[in-house]
Amino acid sequence: MNKFVKGIAVAGLATAMSQAAIAACGDVTVAEMNWASAEFMANVDKIILEEGFGCTVELIPGATMTTFASMDTKGVPDVAPELWTNSLTAPLAAALASGSMHKLNGMPIIGAGEGWFAPGFTLENNPEIKTVLDLIERPDLFPHHEDPSKGAFYGCPAGWGCQLTNNNLFRAFDMEAKGWLLVDPGSAAGLDGSIAKAADRGNNWLGYYWSPTALAGKYGLVKLDWGVPFGDKDHWDNCLTQAECAEPQKTAWNFSEVNTIVTDSFMKNNDPKAAAYFGKRVFPADAMGAMLVYMGDNQAGGEDAAIEFLLNYEDVWSQWVGVQAANLIKKSLN
Amino acid sequence: MELFDEFPSMGRTDLRDLKKGIDFAFRDFSRENGEAIENFFDPLMYFMVWFEKLLLAAPWPIMIIIFAVLAWLGARSIPIVIGTVASFMTIGWFGMWEDTMATVAIISVATALCIGLGIPLGILMSRSNRMQSVVTPVLDIMQTIPSFVYLIPVVMLLGIGKVPGLIAVCIYAIPPIVRLTNLGIRLVDKEVLEASEAFGSSYRQKLFEVQIPLALPNIFAGVNQTIMMALAMVVIASMIGVKGLGVPVLRAVSNQYLALGLMNGLAIVALAVIFDRVSQEYGKRLQKHRQGGHGA
Repeated sequence: MNKFVKGIAVAGLATAMSQAAIAACGDVTVAEMNWASAEFMANVDKIILEEGFGCTVELIPGATMTTFASMDTKGVPDVAPELWTNSLTAPLAAALASGSMHKLNGMPIIGAGEGWFAPGFTLENNPEIKTVLDLIERPDLFPHHEDPSKGAFYGCPAGWGCQLTNNNLFRAFDMEAKGWLLVDPGSAAGLDGSIAKAADRGNNWLGYYWSPTALAGKYGLVKLDWGVPFGDKDHWDNCLTQAECAEPQKTAWNFSEVNTIVTDSFMKNNDPKAAAYFGKRVFPADAMGAMLVYMGDNQAGGEDAAIEFLLNYEDVWSQWVGVQAANLIKKSLN
Repeated sequence: MELFDEFPSMGRTDLRDLKKGIDFAFRDFSRENGEAIENFFDPLMYFMVWFEKLLLAAPWPIMIIIFAVLAWLGARSIPIVIGTVASFMTIGWFGMWEDTMATVAIISVATALCIGLGIPLGILMSRSNRMQSVVTPVLDIMQTIPSFVYLIPVVMLLGIGKVPGLIAVCIYAIPPIVRLTNLGIRLVDKEVLEASEAFGSSYRQKLFEVQIPLALPNIFAGVNQTIMMALAMVVIASMIGVKGLGVPVLRAVSNQYLALGLMNGLAIVALAVIFDRVSQEYGKRLQKHRQGGHGA
């Protein structure tokens, strides 16, 4: 009996001490989406919140639509680290306006989204090329194997929604007249294969891709600046993404909104330091790419990747948390 | 007991290292030799590009006349010629002319390549039992291995486009011609061979004047099957960037466009039926001629 009481007292004392060291954080549920980058981010958040801020974190598997619906109606999970919200614009705006949700970070991953990509070495070797506008003047850098007098632009595989957009942008930038051929890679495997082949041999490659992806990380693909602003949302929705688009206009690719969203109860009940952390937590493109490659090469899950990231990218994540939390996290890793 | 509960598998790390080792070895091989292999296939590629451009550039009435003449030369049958013309007219009317020409181009080259490689290989196989025991399992692999398994290395080596598409088609389509050539020659009557030997025919005469002519029905069945299987691969080839009827089929499949898929699918079927009837009739006719010669 005595022992038991002592045990409780010791446990209580320990809790009190740790709470003295770090303010109360409480229980947090974090959505772990079903793709690699989100799995990785959720696990980074879990370790940082638990070790750095003393929260108790539970990961809840989810997908974009289901997680958002659950946060909206039930307030669970508390945090969606990587929520792609282009398809949720209206309901998200309503939730933000009513105060039931808060957007803590509007760009948790640099360079996330769709667009036109080229390997990093292409840009390094041709420093005069800064944007898509510069690049489309140089079809000679990207000779098509079947007709070397033309430049090859790898579009989106047949049947994907992005195929129409790419075809229209190809026309908008008047690329045929400039000596380009739009190559249909046929499938995701074809598109990936064409990148792998070009990058492995140090050949230039230009085409449609998206990020964050292991392939973009592995081959150092860089999302190109367009050199023109994103034009008109209406034109994008009603012309560029449609099969019939009489006069496509030059524009950047529609910005892919990626947000870190939390529920109102998280803001009210949890440590404000945790909320501040989410605001600062921005993954640089190369770090994210490297971690996705790590996951692919080693068939590692999100947790392994998170530990790997915390071990190797201290200069990145220590900016997101205070010195005290950083020390606690570092200690936990050893 | 533990031994029986769990299969004694290779450790996870070892397995991963093995897979990585294979992947890296292939990548190094591709870096080292990809360029050379690509250059080796370049003449073939330029021929295919030229051939496709030729079919696309030729005025459609001339193309239809050529198809009709070819059908007549092959089949010598008015209904088949009418059917051929009607099919191509319908295909053109539904706006699938260009895709169909692209498909005809790659299928013709693929079939010619398969026949050119397959018949000699089949003859070699029929000459030697050891050769047969080596080639047969290889053909089994080619016919059963899921196509994407070999498409990935082919694409990494040669990129996407016509040549990798051609290789993919041929890997799948060459086995029947090899098998049936081998079978046809092996099935030639021993007595007939003995008779030809008794007449003093040389090895070469025996092969070209006795065995191959008598094996022709089987060889033609092989040619026919090869064409059919090549057409069946049109959609798969489109997945690695080959233009043609496969592209709209892929688009239809991923968007549930029923009519688009059906129309282009049926155009592939129409090509298959034409090729099939013409080549079968041609084979039969060759056979009839031989038999007629025999009887006289």
